[in-house]
Amino acid sequence: MATQTESESSGGGVLMRDRLVKRAGEVAAGGFMLAIGGLLVWILSTQVNYELLASPLIARRFAEAFFLVVQIVVISSLLSVSLGVLVGLGRISTSNVTGRIAKGYVEFFRGTPLLFQLFVIYFGVPRLWATGEFPFSDWAIPAAIIGLTLNHGAYVGEAIRGGIDAVPDGQMEAARSLGMSRVMALREVVLPQAWRNALAAIGNDQIILVKDTSLLTVIAVPEIMSVFRNINSNQLDPWTPLVWVCVLYLAITMSMSQLVNGLERRSDWGSDSGMFGRLSGLGSGGDADGGEES
Amino acid sequence: MTGPLVEFDGVDKSFGETQVLYDVDLSVDEGEVVVVIGPSGSGKSTLLRCANRLEEIQGGDIRLDGRSVIETDVNEIRQQIGMVFQSFNLFPHKTALENVALAPEKVKGVPEAEAKEAAADLLDRVGLADQAESYPGALSGGQQQRVAIARALAMEPKVMLFDEVTSALDPELVGEVLDVIEGLAADGMTMVLVTHEMGFAREVGDRIVLMADGRVVERSETQSFFEEPSTERGQQFLSRLL
Repeated sequence: MATQTESESSGGGVLMRDRLVKRAGEVAAGGFMLAIGGLLVWILSTQVNYELLASPLIARRFAEAFFLVVQIVVISSLLSVSLGVLVGLGRISTSNVTGRIAKGYVEFFRGTPLLFQLFVIYFGVPRLWATGEFPFSDWAIPAAIIGLTLNHGAYVGEAIRGGIDAVPDGQMEAARSLGMSRVMALREVVLPQAWRNALAAIGNDQIILVKDTSLLTVIAVPEIMSVFRNINSNQLDPWTPLVWVCVLYLAITMSMSQLVNGLERRSDWGSDSGMFGRLSGLGSGGDADGGEES
Repeated sequence: MTGPLVEFDGVDKSFGETQVLYDVDLSVDEGEVVVVIGPSGSGKSTLLRCANRLEEIQGGDIRLDGRSVIETDVNEIRQQIGMVFQSFNLFPHKTALENVALAPEKVKGVPEAEAKEAAADLLDRVGLADQAESYPGALSGGQQQRVAIARALAMEPKVMLFDEVTSALDPELVGEVLDVIEGLAADGMTMVLVTHEMGFAREVGDRIVLMADGRVVERSETQSFFEEPSTERGQQFLSRLL
């Protein structure tokens, strides 16, 4: 029949077009890769001063900045995730007061730039004391940690709240119907699941936190970008220190994503791809059809 | 004990402006199996959920063992009322064994080893001894629901409530769950079941309660209900099933 042939041929046409789009994508991606790669090779071979790059002076200064940034990241990370859990819990609190305070906190710290928040803490806060009375002699690093914690605590809080919202209501009901209090049900049943739901979003935010440490250069923290600015203005050579900057940030962010991936794998229960799923699957014999959905 | 174990006394329930239960009276004696049937939206599930205060009632009272459920601490009352849900609601981050042992451990303070041992016995009772270490995601719907029954039993409740526990199951998995419930009935467990499985209702129920539009419209002994319903609503309901 005519219609039959038509639909068949148009089906074939769609298939052809799919292949064409795929091929075009490969060409585009490959071309992009070649262009960037070429540019990179050209820069690395003409712009970078390798003697300077490997000089102990530069290496030492970047290494110091790197370890400082790692310390700031580790502390701010732990603090912001802890704060975020509290904020997420505050957001779902049955108390109106707590809920509104948590919401207001999130709105403020997500709604204003981190740089503004750093200025408030670094320049503004010490002025609240009489001259000479401010207890910190070196306020830059504490201010940086406080700023990063408060800012990213808001984002982590929203990620946790989203993770809690994604846990089906039936989980809380089942826990409560066994006689658990709300707090116990949250702790034992809802939060472990919410944590898994939120993990990817939290990891994403923590990688942004790493990159946000570059802003600390404007409040006199001797971090990686400060070293760059210093070397660039002394040597009038941007590309050599930029290689250092790039490698150091990638070293931190890539370790961070490895850590998050590891955590995600660890909390992947039940599905056959997960560690627990595989282990439990061993004993389940003929239940390959597991995971009946309701 | 002389009075009924569970007693609904003139229960009114509304969701906002919409009233869903009107003056419901129902009493369940110890060891009795009462099956609540009726069309969708008749308030059967809501009635069950009121018993352990997953829903609060607006009028009347519900008593367990003579004590008002409303006036007793909610966490205490729920320990005495086991509930099994349509959608299983197993805790996906815990193994079958941990699902069953969790509440006795955390709520009653039973030592971990003891709770796990009791949980293993319960899993054995629902035919899942070999799945103790499985996570819910690796279990079939029927297996999950049997774990959920074991989980509710672990708190040693005085009464078990079953809220359409086979509705979410593939037909071939319904039987294994009903077998477990029948076993409980045979052991003398007091139970209130909401179900659409009429064959099962007939088999396991001591009494049938028919609800429609938020009211109890008929209550009869099981046999007489299915043979000759005493009310017109009962006749209508049965005729639609046949």
